[in-house]
Amino acid sequence: MFEFFLHLSPLIGINIILAVSLNLINGICGQFSLGHAGFWAVGAYTGAAYSVYGALPLPDELNLIISCGLGFIAACVAGLIIGVPCLRLRGDYLAIATLGFGEIIRIVIMNTDAIGGPRGFSGIPKWTNLFWVSLFVVITVVIIANILRGTHGRAIISIREDEIAADSMGIYTFKYKTLAFVIGAGFAGLAGSLYAHYTQFLHPNGFSFMFSVIILLMIILGGLGSITGSIVGAIILTLMPEVLRFMGETVSQWRMVIYSVLLIALMLLRPGGIFGKHEFNPLTLFKKKGEEA
Amino acid sequence: MSTPILETKAITMRFGGLTAVDNFSLKIGKTDLIGVIGPNGAGKTTIFNMITGIYEPTEGIVELNGENIVGNRPAFITQKGIARTFQNIRLFKDLSVIDNIRLAGHFRVDYGLVASIFRTKKFHAEEKRLEDEAMELLKIFGLEKKKDHLAKNLPYGEQRRLEIARALGTKPSVLLLDEPAAGMNPNETKELTKLIRWVRDKFQIAILLIEHDMKLVMEVCETIYVVDHGVQIAHGVPSEIQNNPKVIEAYLGTDAE
Repeated sequence: MFEFFLHLSPLIGINIILAVSLNLINGICGQFSLGHAGFWAVGAYTGAAYSVYGALPLPDELNLIISCGLGFIAACVAGLIIGVPCLRLRGDYLAIATLGFGEIIRIVIMNTDAIGGPRGFSGIPKWTNLFWVSLFVVITVVIIANILRGTHGRAIISIREDEIAADSMGIYTFKYKTLAFVIGAGFAGLAGSLYAHYTQFLHPNGFSFMFSVIILLMIILGGLGSITGSIVGAIILTLMPEVLRFMGETVSQWRMVIYSVLLIALMLLRPGGIFGKHEFNPLTLFKKKGEEA
Repeated sequence: MSTPILETKAITMRFGGLTAVDNFSLKIGKTDLIGVIGPNGAGKTTIFNMITGIYEPTEGIVELNGENIVGNRPAFITQKGIARTFQNIRLFKDLSVIDNIRLAGHFRVDYGLVASIFRTKKFHAEEKRLEDEAMELLKIFGLEKKKDHLAKNLPYGEQRRLEIARALGTKPSVLLLDEPAAGMNPNETKELTKLIRWVRDKFQIAILLIEHDMKLVMEVCETIYVVDHGVQIAHGVPSEIQNNPKVIEAYLGTDAE
């Protein structure tokens, strides 16, 4: 069982990156996107294509970084191409448009023979391990948190709060919406490349719309707009179905039902998510205690 | 009147067959306090929206410092020096009071995304400047003690003040106030009257306001434009407006024949 969780832990990290990056788009910028699995797929396939077809004769670690970088860039480009037309839409319309694009990406992959098409893409080297995943999780969280605590981040948040008011404050809302969308897509691509080099096999059906919904669940569970919330949400939703598997035969059989009931219960009890819009920062926690003492 | 800083030249707005505003012209000098009044649906807010770039006038031009600004995005017009408040207060509700003001300084900030990620010297210097400027404004408006409160938790009157402070944070040369007294009781309106005059004197800017509250307009404004059904029906100092038969007719209607 321990080994099983050791296997699961990089997946938790990958999900954290996905959740935090989606939160930047959905929770922090307030642009409801349902196409995150698409960007994830773009990154995964780009990274995998690099290591299968064009890997340079470099150490594995460097190659992993390169393929993650390529995944990031490719997903950024995809984000830009999709974001520019879609971000003119709002609310449900944007959700539907991004959902459509996410599916288009999957179908295109399904029909591209060079990367396996419906057979799946195999033969990807196993370069990802817990260390690299953790490192990239930290990088992602630090970069996004730092952006948010600067003027560009505040501009992104102001769009969620009130787009018209943001506009009247001299903020180019479209530029910042696109920025949030592209950065979010980029980190999803990075997570994709990490994922590809962990599972060593990719199949287009693994990047379906349902997965976008699961990432969305993670950030809603943790609290839209809270990065720490997304991290917690990603951990809980990755572990919960697996932990239930080990809790006796009855629980195991009913685990998807229990999982759903728990989600419903949480949303009834805390509709804003576990953290709401707040952040949990252990550093300030200690600071406050120190000040009181 | 001194040379106009903001001038609308015969702006017209048509929505399909409906002419919301017809040939409206106005001139605002450097430190003028001007009011636009008119019954509900007269087209006052449409005039505001044309000046701030939310709508593009069907005809006519809007000049700021002699430069035509029609067709620009609202954000650009704000950067050029026209700030506004909204009839139904539009603060960034879930952000702190100081962050609301900091955002007004956003477009003047001189550091990029990369500087923000790596927390460079420039980032810290600019953030410091932004915070100092914001604190200064908050002090002027007596909100410095509430700087870390969420904007939505402020009482109504303070939200209004914060919105005006935020608009001033963009360092405008013209401030547009859209029904600033909406939802205020007579006492609050009185305070607002003082505040508006004081803001004009302190910041040396022009103020254009739309208002329903006659008392406020008559007390505050030096020149008043009256619109009805999108047409300007009168224009002059408050005492002239008060006795203008056309204005009385627009507000109270004519005798039944």
